[in-house]
Amino acid sequence: MTATATELEALTAAKIIDARGAACPGPLLEAKKGMGTVPVGSLIEIWSTDPGTKSDIGAWSGKVGHEFLGTLASDGYDRVFVIRRK
Amino acid sequence: MANTEKLVFMVMHGPEFPEHATIPFVMAAAALASDVDVVMGFQGPGVELVHAGVAETVNAPEFPPLAKLLADVLELGGKLLVCGPCVKNRAIPPEELVPGTEIVAAGRFIAEITSATNSLVY
Repeated sequence: MTATATELEALTAAKIIDARGAACPGPLLEAKKGMGTVPVGSLIEIWSTDPGTKSDIGAWSGKVGHEFLGTLASDGYDRVFVIRRK
Repeated sequence: MANTEKLVFMVMHGPEFPEHATIPFVMAAAALASDVDVVMGFQGPGVELVHAGVAETVNAPEFPPLAKLLADVLELGGKLLVCGPCVKNRAIPPEELVPGTEIVAAGRFIAEITSATNSLVY
């Protein structure tokens, strides 16, 4: 994780992708689609109830060249933060 | 810029094995989302999955419905290749295959597999 929980809490995403309830690979596909809707340099936040999403989005970001900032546990779901870098 | 990696997923299981049928679509969709080219090859009972209307009947627990995954794979640019003899053996009319499916023979499968970064058989 490259950002602390306090730092993540202070962020405001350009786009929130609510993928709660989606099974793998749904959150990843939603993240992919969401990235295409924001300018390079924008922060997106993915909400997911799939426990695999945290590692999935982190690995995906590294693979495709986005910046994975980390995750926060919320009320029954995870908040995953990624900056579009290409 | 064109992707430099390609994965081939060979699908051998049909709708009677929902999990086996679904997982290659999950992997293919994830690969496409990761900027990896994808070819899905259907042989044996696997060809039934690209018979129009069949995907709508396949729902593996804890996975998205197969019809959703099939739509995702097509939307993201995945190629669907189906074994000609396998289709004929099951009396599936070519016009009843999922739009975008291409009927091919062994040589095409070999060409796709040998030019891929890796191939996976399900």
